[in-house]
Amino acid sequence: MFEMSFGATGANYSAERADELYEQHQQLIYRQTDRLFARLMFFQWLAGILIALFVSPHTWFGPSSAVHPHVWAAIFLGGAISIFPIWMTRVWPGAAATRYVIAVAQMLMSGLLIELTGGRIETHFHIFGSLVILSFYRDWRVLIPATVVVALDHFLRGIYWPYSVYGVLSASPLRSIEHAGWVVFEDIFLVISCLRSIREMRSIAERTAALEASEQGFRQIFEDAPIGMGVVSLDESFTQVNTTLCQMVGYSEAELTQLTTMDITFDEDIPQGRQNAEELLTGGQRSSVERRYVHKNGEVLWITRTACLMRDVDGQPRAFLIMVEDISERKRAERELCESKRELEAVHHANQLIMDNSQDVICTMDERGRYLTVSAACEQLWGYTPDELVGRNYLDLVCPEDRQMTNTVAEIILLDGKITDFVNRYTRKDGTFVDMLWSASWSETDKILFCVAHDITERARIEKALREAKAEADRANQAKSEFLSRMSHELRTPLNAILGFSQLIERHDPTDAQRTRVHHILSAGRHLLNLINEVLDISRIEAGNLQLSLEPVCVADAVEEALILIRPLAEERSIDLSTSAPLDQSVYVMADRQRLKQVLLNLLTNAVKYTLPEGKVTLSADSAGAGIMRVVVTDTGAGISANKLARLFTPFDRLGAEQTAVEGTGLGLALCQRLMHAMNGSIGVNTTIGRGSTFWVELACAQSPLAYLPPVKRNGSDSKSNTVQRTILYVEDNLSNLTLIEQMLADQPEIKLITAMQGQLGLELAKQHSPDLILLDLHLPDLPGWEVLSRLQRNEATRAIPVVVISADATSRQIKRLKAAGARSYLTKPLDMQDFFRVIEETSSPRLTEECAA
Amino acid sequence: MFAIAWIAGVAFGLRSLFHYENGPGGIGALPTSWPATQIERATDRPTLVMLAHPHCPCTEASVGELAQIMARLQGKITAYVLFVKPKETGNDWEATTLRRNAEAIPGVKVVFDPDGVEAQRFGAETSGHTLLFGADGALLFSGGITALRGHAGDNPGESAIVAIVNNQTPVRTQTLVFGCSLANRPAAGPPAQCLK
Repeated sequence: MFEMSFGATGANYSAERADELYEQHQQLIYRQTDRLFARLMFFQWLAGILIALFVSPHTWFGPSSAVHPHVWAAIFLGGAISIFPIWMTRVWPGAAATRYVIAVAQMLMSGLLIELTGGRIETHFHIFGSLVILSFYRDWRVLIPATVVVALDHFLRGIYWPYSVYGVLSASPLRSIEHAGWVVFEDIFLVISCLRSIREMRSIAERTAALEASEQGFRQIFEDAPIGMGVVSLDESFTQVNTTLCQMVGYSEAELTQLTTMDITFDEDIPQGRQNAEELLTGGQRSSVERRYVHKNGEVLWITRTACLMRDVDGQPRAFLIMVEDISERKRAERELCESKRELEAVHHANQLIMDNSQDVICTMDERGRYLTVSAACEQLWGYTPDELVGRNYLDLVCPEDRQMTNTVAEIILLDGKITDFVNRYTRKDGTFVDMLWSASWSETDKILFCVAHDITERARIEKALREAKAEADRANQAKSEFLSRMSHELRTPLNAILGFSQLIERHDPTDAQRTRVHHILSAGRHLLNLINEVLDISRIEAGNLQLSLEPVCVADAVEEALILIRPLAEERSIDLSTSAPLDQSVYVMADRQRLKQVLLNLLTNAVKYTLPEGKVTLSADSAGAGIMRVVVTDTGAGISANKLARLFTPFDRLGAEQTAVEGTGLGLALCQRLMHAMNGSIGVNTTIGRGSTFWVELACAQSPLAYLPPVKRNGSDSKSNTVQRTILYVEDNLSNLTLIEQMLADQPEIKLITAMQGQLGLELAKQHSPDLILLDLHLPDLPGWEVLSRLQRNEATRAIPVVVISADATSRQIKRLKAAGARSYLTKPLDMQDFFRVIEETSSPRLTEECAA
Repeated sequence: MFAIAWIAGVAFGLRSLFHYENGPGGIGALPTSWPATQIERATDRPTLVMLAHPHCPCTEASVGELAQIMARLQGKITAYVLFVKPKETGNDWEATTLRRNAEAIPGVKVVFDPDGVEAQRFGAETSGHTLLFGADGALLFSGGITALRGHAGDNPGESAIVAIVNNQTPVRTQTLVFGCSLANRPAAGPPAQCLK
């Protein structure tokens, strides 16, 4: 399509261009011939003068002479003939009038010269020569005025000078006809010559136009070529470049044609470039090389340069034609491909290393389950070499019992694409089985299954042993828990009676002797109770069963409560117990309230116990930065030596205090440390021998819970009335415990206590009396306590009655289980009276409140 | 306008030149027969006498035509070229190319005519004037042997001489003479008339 339109356009252009070229050529010839005649005219003028001066310088009259008229004629007439046409060639070069004037003048000049040379026959050739020279115009019409002048000359001479050679009286009257005939004869051939020349000129013009059109086409191709093209001289200078090449190297055409190819060639490639040029000059047909050019901005380009030699008509080298293609992108892609290939080879090498050195079997299979590749580990694991396995179906080696399962898994892999941690048994070459852990993935693209098999025979054995060991440990732990629960129950039950009755005695005005004895009983009982509690706590912590209720706890309240509890002991030992500064009521820490108080009490107790009378114990609370609150207990005791500090938190290690009169179990600090850790806190000590010790605990600060509560609008009066009658049912089979509770509540006239020593009876009494509170023991003769609780919950009439469990079983699991079953609270034996009465108040209050409201 | 002026000027110049070229010289009193002269006339053949000015450029053509006549009439005539040498001229005044050309023509005798005495006897006043006398001494032809002043080439004079010597009837026996004046002043007489 492009060639067709190009061809048609080229043909049109060629015809128009041919006319134009013909006219240009013709005009060029006219002008050149004009100039030729101008010079010829001048030369003829001078020649005429010289001829006149030479041939006939004087005319004579006897012995005297004068300037010959020929001389004057040569000067003036010759000048007159010549100057006008010379002037016309200057003013109207190439014009037809100029040519015709020249033709006339040339013929007149012929006549003049013939006259000046005395009519020499040779001079007559000037006429014929002039006609020939006039034919240089290649315009046959020029011959007409020339011929007319010749004819007119003859005609006029014949008329006006009848005695002349052309006159009617001449010796040969037909000479003028003959003479004119020769002129016409010559004219004929000159006209033919002119016409032929014109045809040739037109033909040349058409060929030139066609050549130009063709050249234009090639030039357009050259200019518009998508690759860089250029013509380079033999000394490598650019003589012609196209736009693409200019853009490629960043130079303008004017700049590039001032450079050589070596100027834009990368330095290292210049020798190769020179060699290519030499090869072309010494007979090479074409060279195509890759080399680097340097862009004007300094960037290095990779290019493909194809060059061929251009020769002139004689076959001599004239220039190089170069075609340049920018292959920088291709080179970059090749480099990246090469790098990718190297990386791939490295990965392949690494894979091969893995395959060769892996302790696991790495293998590939086709979709029919036949091994394609198998790593060397198969020989060690299965006893087969890779060559023995390649081509075999993997099921051949699977333990027959596992084949069905393995087949199922294989189908899953084909569907899901992968599977991990699949275990089956493989049959070794020697017939033994080996447990294999498989990871496999299916490549749908490659239709290949990639597998890694790990020998887990030893791991399976160890796991089995671990499972057995764990089961054994669990059993032991269960036994330990049961033992502790039983021991706790068995120890607490008698302690409940011991401490309970001792407290009752103490409250009923004993004598001094009795008071002293009761004090000893209570002290020993409480010591034993603390010991039991601490042993249980440590046991729970180490077993991970310690139940903590982490909540925002007001530090000031906890400290105040601890101080209140420890103050009697301090006063007893004459220890100055104080706080360094008023505590901020708005400071809260995230802790279990009871456990925090337990820790503080422990630290304060130790400080008071190990400080000599008249000593000082100070408690303070300050921020430790970064949201940490530090509570510090400082004493003025003896301090702790450095070698003992490492054993400070070791259970039952009293650091030599057992040799003193100070009582203790050696569990306090150990328990404190574990509790603090359980509450995400820390504990530490700074001590100086002889000056005392500073124990500190740190806990994360917390937001006050009051901040989250909406303001409560109070009715302005406490609705609780001590005068409201309350009924409490106590279900307990232990008589001493029953007696203890009865005596404890004896001072509470608003409380009516009814008791039951059997569970069933308790249930009946509960339905009958609908008590405000039920105190329930767990060990009853007819029904377990939890069954009694369950029945109370199931019965519509008793469901709303709060139940407080009183048991010697202080294990958290038991407490949690019974609270989940519906118990409102859980009190452990031996009972703490303050706790007991607090629980009584709390659990029975809602019912009383409802009554008051009613 | 320029072209017209040019044509007019050139035409005027050419006309003047041609008028000069065609302007014949004077002819003196022609003898009807061989005059009394020191030159010896041939009695067995016609005798041709040309009177010439040694320096006349126009006579070059006449001498050239004489050479043509002598070539065409080899041995049939006796020819003389008389170069007039005025008295007041020097010794070598007559030693000119024209003289050497004339002397080079076979069969032509060059004679000097001191002070133009012989020229007067032959009635010649213009250089190139040629006379042909028969063997009996009768004047057979008189005039120039060039068509124009100084013009070589065929001309009625030459044709007439050749015809007469070859015993043919010439078209004319007298022609105009074109050349320099042999005397001090140009001849003022009318052009010589052709002889029938």
